[in-house]
Amino acid sequence: MAKQYDEGMLSDMLPIYYSRHFPQSLFCRWLSCGNYPQPLANRELSFTLADDVYLRYLSISNQKELQTLFQKKCPHKLDIGPVYNIKPSIGRHDAIVLARELVFDIDLTDYDEIRTCCQEANVCDKCWRFMVIACEVINTALKEDFGFQNILWVFSGRRGIHCWVSDHDARTLDSPGRTAVADYLCLITGGDNQNKKVNLVGDNLHSSIRRSINIIDKYFNIIVQEQEFFSTKEGLSKLLRVIPDETLRKQTEETLDKLAPSSLERWEAFIQIYNQFCKHNNVRKIKYLIEEIKIQYCYPRLDVHVTKGFNHLLKSPFSIHPKTGKVSVVFKPENINSMKLDSVPTIHTLLDDSAKENTQHEANMRTAIKSFQEVVFLLEKTEALRRKTETSISLDF
Amino acid sequence: MDFKIKRKSTKTAVVGGLLESYPHDLQLYKIPPIEDIALKEFETLALERLTLLRSLATATTLKGLRLYSEEWIEYVLSDLRTQGLKYYVKLCEKTDFSTKEADLQARRKDHIAHFILRLAYCRTEELRRWFVSREIELFRMRFMTMTSDAVDTFFRINNLCYTNISEEEKNEILINLRESTHHQNIDNMKFYKVKFYEVLDLVKTRKVYLKGGYAYVPHKDFISVLIAQYRIHLRQSLAIASHHLSEVEQDERLVSLLKGLHQTYTGNNYSDTKAAVPIETLDSLSSKSFPLCMRQLHEHLRTAHHLKHGGRLQYGLFLKGIGVTLEDSLRFWREEFTKIMDLDKFEKQYAYNVRYNYGKEGSKKNYSPFNCLKIISNTVGPGDCHGCPFKHSDANVLKNKMKGYGFELQAINDVVDLAKRGHYQIACSKYFDVVHNSSMGLGINHPNQYFEESQKLKGEVKIEPKTEAKQSIKPENNAVEDMEFDENF
Repeated sequence: MAKQYDEGMLSDMLPIYYSRHFPQSLFCRWLSCGNYPQPLANRELSFTLADDVYLRYLSISNQKELQTLFQKKCPHKLDIGPVYNIKPSIGRHDAIVLARELVFDIDLTDYDEIRTCCQEANVCDKCWRFMVIACEVINTALKEDFGFQNILWVFSGRRGIHCWVSDHDARTLDSPGRTAVADYLCLITGGDNQNKKVNLVGDNLHSSIRRSINIIDKYFNIIVQEQEFFSTKEGLSKLLRVIPDETLRKQTEETLDKLAPSSLERWEAFIQIYNQFCKHNNVRKIKYLIEEIKIQYCYPRLDVHVTKGFNHLLKSPFSIHPKTGKVSVVFKPENINSMKLDSVPTIHTLLDDSAKENTQHEANMRTAIKSFQEVVFLLEKTEALRRKTETSISLDF
Repeated sequence: MDFKIKRKSTKTAVVGGLLESYPHDLQLYKIPPIEDIALKEFETLALERLTLLRSLATATTLKGLRLYSEEWIEYVLSDLRTQGLKYYVKLCEKTDFSTKEADLQARRKDHIAHFILRLAYCRTEELRRWFVSREIELFRMRFMTMTSDAVDTFFRINNLCYTNISEEEKNEILINLRESTHHQNIDNMKFYKVKFYEVLDLVKTRKVYLKGGYAYVPHKDFISVLIAQYRIHLRQSLAIASHHLSEVEQDERLVSLLKGLHQTYTGNNYSDTKAAVPIETLDSLSSKSFPLCMRQLHEHLRTAHHLKHGGRLQYGLFLKGIGVTLEDSLRFWREEFTKIMDLDKFEKQYAYNVRYNYGKEGSKKNYSPFNCLKIISNTVGPGDCHGCPFKHSDANVLKNKMKGYGFELQAINDVVDLAKRGHYQIACSKYFDVVHNSSMGLGINHPNQYFEESQKLKGEVKIEPKTEAKQSIKPENNAVEDMEFDENF
């Protein structure tokens, strides 16, 4: 980075960013979900101002109001809430939530017990690979299993990714529905008191789990090498604690301990021991142990509360992350693999023409806006189509 | 709600009429009863159905039987027999569509009683959830005991027509159906294609194959579609009933009856206490009088100086419930959190949370402490240490923890064994006895109840719970009632 990012500068830079770089028109169209104007006016926006002052229940009727609001308040962070039956800025207490995108929040801090490269707020390109897997798994499931099409993927600005599903069925899904979708996709459960967090039951693996494992397999060996999950004593004992069968655990411990600390070698040795073990023992209980371990180490760790809640606020695309200065860019799920954290535009590099990365980051910003545009156009098209079929159905009666 | 009791008699109820209204043992309760009924019968029917619903709850919680298992059904039926509710036994045991007069009368009672309880249980969200959960259990149990003949008739009567998918379509996805459906021999099974949100319980547990937004439901699981619709219908009806409650309550005779009904069975929600517990005593209280779920949160907070959101909520509300004041609470959390962060960060990010729990922020609701079922059914993720330790711990973690507390090995094994078999609340009750060296065999259904019982036992009752609070925890059968199941199946 040319200059060190400084949070204090935000208040000066943001007005320029909002008027020059923020895709206001697209943003409004996306929030309208193809149903201008009502859903836009009833949509809750919330701002975090300098010094963590928090404004909730804001709303806008058009782009002009958005522009004015931006200039007046200069939000350091921008969050999006649900669509209410009335304008939330007028009657928030009797407001009823009518619709809200189905959202997913995946954050690298939830991988702290697994990742070895960074902890807490830190991220590097190594741990980003977890996000690559997460994005592919969730995106495929949403499309193939649930039949959703209008899916927007957004970098959260620091250490995670967000996903917004705008299909009509998803937007109007009620709370139990969201809970069911979240639980369907969530395979890792259990707190600090449970070592084995994945338990696959039944005689068969559900088709969606099998497909997810196939996705994980594409990356598993690389990630094992990058993260060196099992090379240290601690990492090894973590693996051992997940093995429920005592004999198998002992065998594994004895063998792996003697091996070189290469995680991949140790993993391959473990598979051999496991296969050997399965030949001679009744293995019903650990039939899917290999799959369970792969899931525990690589499967997306969703923050299910965000998905389950009907009115959970979530950071808006193209909002600036106040701590990193990075733009919450929209990206295409098929491109996440080649995405580098350094190439994410920051408010600083965008505004400073002389910055080394300026040209590159501006280009990346344009790509992000273009990806956003594609999702918005698709959404408007499917919405128009849906309304057309809806009217033709009601005319039939 | 059309339930008017004062209407003048125009009784024309003959068998023919009854047969027309009640052709089948199993009903969807779409149309409310419109006949006149004596106040006495009104009350009897209501109480009898309450006994039935309570019996369902007891089977699952107090007896620890697996929902809808053979033993579960057997327990419910035998309980109904001892209570003398033969007509419910008949309706539940062999659900069919006979035309015998006695059966028709039973169906009429079932119908009326259901609608009376709707009135009694539409008042609050808590009551509605309890009622909907029980009624759905009842419905499902009755559906399960039906012969396939009765099922077909039921579908015909209620105009439920669905067409199964063609052999061709089925063969195309046969492998996936086999993988993703929890039944053997699906080759001969009929499959139905419905939108995924019509079978949320199957989606949630990954027991159905999904493709492009559609769920492929085997014949055997079709009940899920029905239950989902029934649930929506019940929820809506209860919402409507609560809107019209004021009309019904113009009749004072009904007011006392309806209010009395549910009040007897909700239990204390511990949302306010009178006594104040100073935070300096928390360390000693946590080992003596806290249930394990709270003790482990307390210990985690003391060692890590931090709790994640779920833990702050569960523990914070519990502390409020035992009588820690808002000011003390703020001080308590601040002292711990500021060991790893600066004061400014705490005030900005966490103090709000604490005040929120006390109803001073956000929607300003006075939140009640969580009960056991809420805690048990809560989601616990990586980094979390809230939830129910008997459910959300590995057996050896639980064992080591209790070893660390210095309990006897035999006692520890008993507790762990109960937890392993899924009897979390009974394990908790056993834990209570181990800690207190007692053999009370309490029915624990609320961490704050655990705390109060413990304080009573130690003769340190500074807390003077309100009279109804006392009522709700003493009699054993009451204890069952607020073991409310999360309605999100």
